[in-house]
Amino acid sequence: MKPLWHKLTEMIGRTQKVWYVALLILVLVFPGMTTSYWTDVAFFFGLYILLGLSLNIIVGYAGLFNLGHAAFYAVGAYTTAILNTVLGIPVLYLLPISALAAAFFAYLITKPILHLRGDYLAIVTIGFAEIVRISLINNIGGLTGGPNGLLGISRPELFGMRLYTPTHFYYLVWFLVIMVILAMVRLEDSRLGRAWNYVREDELAAEAMGIDATRTKMLAFVVGSALAGVAGNIYAAKMTMIAPESFGFWESVVIFSIVILGGMGSIPGVVVGAFGMVVWPEIFRGFAEARMLIFGAAMVLMMLFRPQGLWPSPRARRAMESQKKSRPSAKAGTA
Amino acid sequence: MKKFALVMLVLVMAFAVTACGSKDDAADPIKIGVQGPISGQWALEGTGFVRAVTMLAEEINADGGINGREIQIIQGDDKGDPKEATLVAQRLVNQGVVAVVGAYNSTATEPASAIYNEAGVLHVTPSSTATGLTEKGYDQFFRTCFLDDRQGLFAAEFMTGTLGAKKIALIHDNTTYAKGLADWTKIYLEELGAEVVFFDAIVPGEREFGPTLTRLKNVNPDAIYFTGYFSEGGLLLKQARDMGITSTFVAGNANNNADFIEIAGIQNAKGAIITTEPIPTDIDYPEARKFIDDYQARYGEMPPSIWTLSAADAFRVVVEAIEKTQSTDKDKLANYLHNTMKDFPGITGPITFDEKGDRLGTVHRAYIVNEKGEFVPYSN
Repeated sequence: MKPLWHKLTEMIGRTQKVWYVALLILVLVFPGMTTSYWTDVAFFFGLYILLGLSLNIIVGYAGLFNLGHAAFYAVGAYTTAILNTVLGIPVLYLLPISALAAAFFAYLITKPILHLRGDYLAIVTIGFAEIVRISLINNIGGLTGGPNGLLGISRPELFGMRLYTPTHFYYLVWFLVIMVILAMVRLEDSRLGRAWNYVREDELAAEAMGIDATRTKMLAFVVGSALAGVAGNIYAAKMTMIAPESFGFWESVVIFSIVILGGMGSIPGVVVGAFGMVVWPEIFRGFAEARMLIFGAAMVLMMLFRPQGLWPSPRARRAMESQKKSRPSAKAGTA
Repeated sequence: MKKFALVMLVLVMAFAVTACGSKDDAADPIKIGVQGPISGQWALEGTGFVRAVTMLAEEINADGGINGREIQIIQGDDKGDPKEATLVAQRLVNQGVVAVVGAYNSTATEPASAIYNEAGVLHVTPSSTATGLTEKGYDQFFRTCFLDDRQGLFAAEFMTGTLGAKKIALIHDNTTYAKGLADWTKIYLEELGAEVVFFDAIVPGEREFGPTLTRLKNVNPDAIYFTGYFSEGGLLLKQARDMGITSTFVAGNANNNADFIEIAGIQNAKGAIITTEPIPTDIDYPEARKFIDDYQARYGEMPPSIWTLSAADAFRVVVEAIEKTQSTDKDKLANYLHNTMKDFPGITGPITFDEKGDRLGTVHRAYIVNEKGEFVPYSN
């Protein structure tokens, strides 16, 4: 493992610097180059990168199959919507509160189910997400507005400026994306990040080395959900109306696909995956009815020819290669 | 990491290039957008919107267009998803539409309406019934459907008054529309002194309602009011009768479909009642009959739901406004619809808008299924 300073100097090394600066400039000028439609597409691209990164912690790093991620996203969005419409708290102040609410919710529900593995955990998380969605529809406590959802969420204000155009939201979300990616790069090789790897690869060995597996897995859920809560806050602010149908099973599947499509545990993979799931279908909008067909065919081909994801993490790539060479059955569960 | 930056750069550039390619405005024909769930769980409804509007537009174009200008329909598939709805709305605005018919569900209409309002595009929804939509002071937003509460009031008065029912069971399917209608009906029923003895949801798409009906049978209601859609409505009615439930079966306007009777079977459907906007064949306007005949001739089936008719009305209202004001300016169009237009002969009954853009009046009626399996106006 490289020391942190090494990694940082590497990141701002001369050749890379040029590319990163060019990329940053492109991100900055993008809304000026294009229409409000594509700016909005780019907004959702960014939002789904956030969601993908948040699930990547749980699925990619810790190896916990969570197929109910929309529930945490919903908690963030509804926390924002309820506190804003009822108490009138400004939306951006609610950003950390939404993150905390989603994290706390994750803490509560994952505590009893963490000992489950693989598909069993996946089934339980699907169940939880459905419970959340149906509770929202049934208007628990008269707060969630039932199937009609909540209307009239106010626009966020930043330094006295009201954010409402696609361009405003574009900058807001991409600022967060850049911040979160920087944090993730650091997190990957942190003590916790490494602990997640050990637990994912071999829980027993990890415990033998002094890692508290339950606590480590719990932290993956809590941190990942907090980030999903942030995405929920941004979504509520952008839409000004939220309803249970936006947080259904399909939403969980899309977020899960982003992680799988790009390659589990890989940050660039999430970006590529989000591009595939969000921007790709928009490019084909001209084809109307055939659009989702093309999309589905592309997904099938992808899974046939690149099961490790479009951009697997270096670790996953190594694992795949060694699996091919010598140990055909040893890692059957994680591929 | 260098590779990452490089690929991202290429992606963003590719993105920007595609983006630039989609800019064009040569606005000779009048562009009108249709937004709805053309794919996904409500594809039937969205397809109905597109078919109705396309057919009407082609008829108008064949007659020389509006004020000598052709109409071009641009469709946008939002899948009923609010996030896709914003994208569709942005895209339609960029393509230079002057008016939009859509979206289907309220959650998709809400974010789209903000975009259309900002861009100054006339926006008429055929089917989004959430009350809050017209409370935001958008002057170019209209709807050709009635709010849930109007039908709820009618159903409550009809069941307690005309039918004299005391104990009433309400069944919805947890969709926004059906639950809204059930909620309103419950409020009005309780106001009128009737007892709601059963209030529960079935799951859309399910085929077996035994458990729900068993519980319903135990409370023995005078009347059952089902607010969901015809495919479940027909099955529910059939299974209720099979189980020996004899309560009067009343259903909301989403059951205004011939398949409702076909699924239930004539012997079961006979005597079932629906509350709905007037059936087109029952309206004296030649427009209504002509629309149904044309639709059937062209697509080989009846319009899939009442919302298809409502979409046709939304489009006809837009055309009417453009024709009468000789303009595509949204202020003139909105002003015409708010203030000048009175009792426009719509396919779903006379159309007048109030200052908020809601449709005025109640036109709901009750229809009963006769021996031949046809909907006929209810009379004592």
